[in-house]
Amino acid sequence: MARAKEDLSVVGKNWARLDGADKVTGRSIFADDVRLPGMLYGKVVRSPHAHARILNIDISKAAAVPGVKAILTPEDGKDVWIGMNQPLLPPDGVVKYVGHEVVAIAATSERIAAKAAKLVEVEYEILPSLTDPREAIKEGAIQLHEKAKGNIGWELNLDQGDPDKVFAECDVIREDEFITNASHNCYAEYHVCVSDFSQAGKLVVWTPTQTAILFQKSIAAAFQMDESDVRLLTLNTGGGFTGRTSARPHHYLSALLSRKAGRPVRLRAAGDEEFIMCRAGGKVIYKLRSGASKDGKLKVIEADLLFDNGAYSESQMIVTTLTSKYLHALYPLEASRYRGRLAHTNHLPYYFHHGGGLAQMQFALGQHMDELAHELGMDSVEFGLRNGVEEGYTTPDGTTTYHSCGLKECIEKTAALAGWKDKYGKLPKYKGIGIGIGAMASGAKGLFKHDTSAAMIHVSTDGKASLFIGLPDMGQSSHTTMAIIAAEVLGISPTDIKVVSGDTDTDPFDVGAFTQRGTFNTGNATKSAALDARAQLSGRAASLLECAEDDLVWRDHQVYSRQNPDNKIPFRKVVDQTLNSTEGRFVMGRGYYNSPLEKGSMAYSFGAQIAEVTVDPNTGVVTVDKMTASHDVGRAINPRVVEGQIDGQIFSGMSQVLYEETIMEGGQVMNPSRLDYKMPRAYEMPEVEHIIVETIDPHGPFGAKEVGEGPIVCTMQAIANAVANALGTRIHEMPLSPWRVVKAVKTNK
Amino acid sequence: MAKQLITLTVNGDEHELAVAPYQTLLEVLRDELGLIGTKRGCTAGSCGVCTVNGEKGEAVLSCCALAVEWHGRSVTTVEGVQEGTELHPLQKMFLEHGAVQCGFCTPGLIMSAKALLDVNTSPTEQDINEAMAGAICRCTGHIKVKVAIREAAKLLRARELQTNEAAAGAAGVNNGAR
Repeated sequence: MARAKEDLSVVGKNWARLDGADKVTGRSIFADDVRLPGMLYGKVVRSPHAHARILNIDISKAAAVPGVKAILTPEDGKDVWIGMNQPLLPPDGVVKYVGHEVVAIAATSERIAAKAAKLVEVEYEILPSLTDPREAIKEGAIQLHEKAKGNIGWELNLDQGDPDKVFAECDVIREDEFITNASHNCYAEYHVCVSDFSQAGKLVVWTPTQTAILFQKSIAAAFQMDESDVRLLTLNTGGGFTGRTSARPHHYLSALLSRKAGRPVRLRAAGDEEFIMCRAGGKVIYKLRSGASKDGKLKVIEADLLFDNGAYSESQMIVTTLTSKYLHALYPLEASRYRGRLAHTNHLPYYFHHGGGLAQMQFALGQHMDELAHELGMDSVEFGLRNGVEEGYTTPDGTTTYHSCGLKECIEKTAALAGWKDKYGKLPKYKGIGIGIGAMASGAKGLFKHDTSAAMIHVSTDGKASLFIGLPDMGQSSHTTMAIIAAEVLGISPTDIKVVSGDTDTDPFDVGAFTQRGTFNTGNATKSAALDARAQLSGRAASLLECAEDDLVWRDHQVYSRQNPDNKIPFRKVVDQTLNSTEGRFVMGRGYYNSPLEKGSMAYSFGAQIAEVTVDPNTGVVTVDKMTASHDVGRAINPRVVEGQIDGQIFSGMSQVLYEETIMEGGQVMNPSRLDYKMPRAYEMPEVEHIIVETIDPHGPFGAKEVGEGPIVCTMQAIANAVANALGTRIHEMPLSPWRVVKAVKTNK
Repeated sequence: MAKQLITLTVNGDEHELAVAPYQTLLEVLRDELGLIGTKRGCTAGSCGVCTVNGEKGEAVLSCCALAVEWHGRSVTTVEGVQEGTELHPLQKMFLEHGAVQCGFCTPGLIMSAKALLDVNTSPTEQDINEAMAGAICRCTGHIKVKVAIREAAKLLRARELQTNEAAAGAAGVNNGAR
């Protein structure tokens, strides 16, 4: 249901990012640009084996290299625990993955550190290893952890309703199996951390992050310090893509090296090391089964997901929880069954790739539904319109209600603009069209007890303001978005606002820029802070204008009464007279937002994308000719940025579904470089048509919801469905690399 | 290895530097001259973030160029693109059209695009694609970057036209005086 749009003066216009001039002139500082007096450079000696026992470590030759200032061996990492259950350095003398950190060195230059690292002699006894999650859970497989019986690090089983009963009532039941492979975030900025632990009990860290607060928390816990004694300086973050949500070994190692050397230390991934330092998502095998009535109503979904968890449990636990919830995100079902198992292997502990596991699951589920629709004699557009969720829908567990929902509007508008009816089923051979649909929460309370963002704003007598927030901006333009929201409330321009952020000593609390929570959560906090500041000005303004405070309008740098719009006073005058008077009030607003629910989010966004592709049957190369993409963002705070978010996610989704694979053999990454790990270049990108759908969410700031990870959920399935449409057969494994496509073409002949 | 003395002109400033034969142009720019606007990425020529412009305005991957080879030559980095206190049309259009997100690859993108527009202000789609083929940008997916380059080309063409008209006008006055 469409809600009335407020008449706004700032929100909804295109605003260039406030820090943009710094970024185009080279003034922006990233962690690798930090220069500190006496700074040392770190290098890590890593296991070349997937699974091995360390028999001996000899650092004597390395220690003798002039310029080497500190060396860490597993003894130094004793009692330092990171992530969920991982020792920083292997204390039991067993390395469990290629790249496992064994020794770390700090020296006066990167070259000296690298040279010394080569002189460290480690003797290994190679142990049998597990590199496939399916093998790892078989009876008789070697056991990687005492506590993880059968190498299952975590298992989630969740039935909602009575799936067996509902399946028995279905007319059509379909089963499919899909695989998504290991991949890497490939941010422009490589992994890097500068730590200064040279003052006892005080640690300062410069590193790219999506969440300074969580980094601060985990680093403080690892070193048994008070959180306030760990200061995170975020600077700029060169891309996040769900991959910078938790501290990794290099953060802790640079701190330990710094403490040992008594000097600041920079530790950075050198070239190909980027790929073995921190991988993103691991392999996942999806077994899907669903049932519908013959009139096309989807009734039940069963999903069995087996994850390659890597050697230690990390973010994959969150992915199981999220993917189980999202079975109910798009379709009202009578019942569902979910099983998620995390299998330990001798791969690096897996984290997230862009899409947070949800976009990857939707690659499987979206194709499965495409096939089910065909069995029901429908196409996926009809199926989506017949079965999709609508406003007012509540999930069976009662935790989530959709207060705004533009899913069907997205499907209809995208299908119309892409010309679906004229194309679907009518294209020549090797041309294909496919649709993907998605839902995405704005924020995810339940991962932590709360989902809080806070903001402070102070207004100066020149009518300008400084906005303090703790939300990192890793490119999504969230700082500018917050300035727009505050400016709308105060009736000034976003360019009048300085956004101050990136230092845990001064930032208000913010869980961070992940789970698509920025616009919604920090946006609501910012709006609340700006309203608080405005309330502090209202008394003076009302007395100057001789009207009621409720009648005040704040717009275009002016304040006036709704009753008498011609009598305007400048905003700056109101601020000036509030401070420079006997009242002497310094205007400083504060606000915070936390979902009122026990778990979950008040707002979900929705999207639909249609991909048009051409497949070359001889080379197997898929060309994406065009993407038509819609997204229900509630309200576009900054429309061009919304488009930019959609563009980036189409790139990333296309990249993951067609190109990206960390090819693993015996635990080794076989393509650890940006030449061999392919991503699309400019000439490979399709034309993109954007459709911004505005449902004006009742709980969003000015009606806004996320656009940070919703679009990518649609992209992979849309392209995969289009490729299946072009080939007349389906490829069940991602990426749809040329060799897989050629194989499918040959098998299909 | 013994260091060699080189002369390197960067953004119009001449520097005398002692560099080791293995030092790259990127290292010299960032670590010796403090010009950290040029970013360090893969250091293997595959990501494009370290792109600078050489003497003829050509795009150069500074991570793959040895500093000693640049003795007596000049380079332009992203710090040298701004025109006085004003942004260059490319910088303006990158900003205006949302071609900047995280900003880490932006200096490299701007220098790659500048190498194209300095010699061709009427680039075709193909020209732009070729000029940007060495760059990776996960945030923007290149889409708004291409828009920004096309828009900057328009501004530069308008500027050329103005310059030409002014020159023609000046020539006309001279002719009249003759």
